[in-house]
Amino acid sequence: MMRLMLRGSQNRLMRKMDRIRTAEEAGTIKTHSGGRVLRSMLHNPLSIFGLIAFFVIVATAIAAPLITRYGPMQINLSGVLKPPSLQHLFGTDKLGRDIFSRVLYGGRISILIGLGSALGAAVIGVALGAYGGYKGGWIDTIFLHLSEMFMSFPQIILVLLLVTIVGQSTNNLIIIFITTGWGSTYRMTRARMLSVREEEYAVALKSFGLNDFLICYKHLLPNALGPIMVNITLNTAMFILQEAALSFLGLGVPLQFASWGNILNVANDLTVLQNYWWIWLPVGVVISLFVLSVNFIGDGLHDSSDPSQQG
Amino acid sequence: MVAYSIRRLLTLLLMTLVMTFLVYLGLYLTPGDPITYYIGPEALARMDPSRLLDLRKALGLTDPFIVRYLKWLGGVVTGNFGYSLTSGVSIGTILAARLPATLQLSFAALLISTIIGTAFGLASALRKGQLTDNVLTVAGMIGVSVPQFFFGLVTLLLFAINLQWFPIGGRLRPGHIALIDQLRHLILPALVLGIAMTAGVMRYARASMLDTIGKDYVKTARSKGLPEWRVNLIHGFRVALAPVIVLIGFRLPMLIGGAVVIEAVFQWPGVGSQFIEAVRGHDYPLVMMIALVSVVVVLASSYLVDLLTAVMDPRIKLS
Repeated sequence: MMRLMLRGSQNRLMRKMDRIRTAEEAGTIKTHSGGRVLRSMLHNPLSIFGLIAFFVIVATAIAAPLITRYGPMQINLSGVLKPPSLQHLFGTDKLGRDIFSRVLYGGRISILIGLGSALGAAVIGVALGAYGGYKGGWIDTIFLHLSEMFMSFPQIILVLLLVTIVGQSTNNLIIIFITTGWGSTYRMTRARMLSVREEEYAVALKSFGLNDFLICYKHLLPNALGPIMVNITLNTAMFILQEAALSFLGLGVPLQFASWGNILNVANDLTVLQNYWWIWLPVGVVISLFVLSVNFIGDGLHDSSDPSQQG
Repeated sequence: MVAYSIRRLLTLLLMTLVMTFLVYLGLYLTPGDPITYYIGPEALARMDPSRLLDLRKALGLTDPFIVRYLKWLGGVVTGNFGYSLTSGVSIGTILAARLPATLQLSFAALLISTIIGTAFGLASALRKGQLTDNVLTVAGMIGVSVPQFFFGLVTLLLFAINLQWFPIGGRLRPGHIALIDQLRHLILPALVLGIAMTAGVMRYARASMLDTIGKDYVKTARSKGLPEWRVNLIHGFRVALAPVIVLIGFRLPMLIGGAVVIEAVFQWPGVGSQFIEAVRGHDYPLVMMIALVSVVVVLASSYLVDLLTAVMDPRIKLS
């Protein structure tokens, strides 16, 4: 009797296994890995705040023409240095340009530079780091030393050095940020790959005779994705801050474009700083808020993608 | 230990050598013909090409690239850093005049960030998960998110322009050599630069402290019935502090980078504001030299940090 019951439950177990297997083979089983990270982030109030602030700022920057009737470069000499009013939410600057509009359009340039450079640096860093960490060899040694060299410069000094050499333009700025920024992603990906490649499944894949590229980029790289995402957010925050600082100093985005840093450029003037707070204070707050939101998202990603923080 | 430090020193020297080569390459590729130091532009235009060539030969400008690099390197090693393109002053003189101001500012900022950062980190770790911890964590995030120069501008407006507690910028007023006057100039930029770095120190100190108070010997100390403050401070904090101090070395690149911007905001007459001026004026030799000096400082300090860590923590294997 006892034995029969046991066999019955075993049979049920087997049938269940079979069902799972057929579902798996048919490809109808969904994995919830991305959902888990998102769910866990939504339990963190700071991440929610970060996500909302991030998307609101990005959306208003993209939809700038729908939100404001003024162009960022539209000069109106009959209405200069007007304090904030219903007509001009953030007031106007020395040339009568609407500052609210400049902040919205400036967001396009600044976010493009920050996010674009971070993604570009990540693509290079991940591609090199994954392969270097998995295969090693002389290519890896070269890139390791190269990244070491880039990273021993104080970041802003290296950026300014390159600005002096290649000249000042928006494209150059993105290229310079990518050149100076890939090192940290590279080292992190590489370190992660070094530990993953010793795992049994990696060795098993290798013994099946799978192509190195396939093992490296398809099977091992996803395990490093969490820290890579965190790294991208950190880099985005850093590049946005650097663009702002460089443009504030007059050495970043050329002044004929409205970027967040360029709007702040006028605050170099003490009379502007003292008497016309609306020219520089709102944009400074917007930059801080955006960087803060990116940092909150990064922190949430870090906590939710790190298995040691679960539970 | 000796073998390790010598090997690290050799790597350091090799890296420095590569850096000098890159800097020279940059100088070589950027515009600016040294011959213009000697001859005015009109004279140069009227000059006989063969005499110009002779002059170039005499100055060593026709030598192969590698020979010119070695000569330049010899000059740098013996303290001849070349000359500024815009002012014609020797770069060594400029650096010597500007460096004390930057060192003073950096040291003050380092002191501020270390003290505030470890204190907050300690408080945060001891109240983990409570209100104090959460408030400090969020404050730290805000601290790294606000652009340093923007923070500087706000403090400048509040404390220097509106309240007039501190001077608006600069380092010394003519005729005022008193220490008090110097301090009044120093406080604002040092605070702004220091507070920006505090967040990093705080996070690190918190993690280090949490790590330490979870250790067995801290539990032992507590189970012996020692008072809580003694357990936390003597057994926990003292051990947790070592890696935080070591972190100073890693904060150096950030410190130098921050100093560049903050010096410009507060018109602090240091190497940083000189660097910005040089970049604006396309003063290539000066830009390259300041960059080279900053790299050497960072490399040397990371070497010292490695040695210090090895000396302080016997668990680190020297291989």
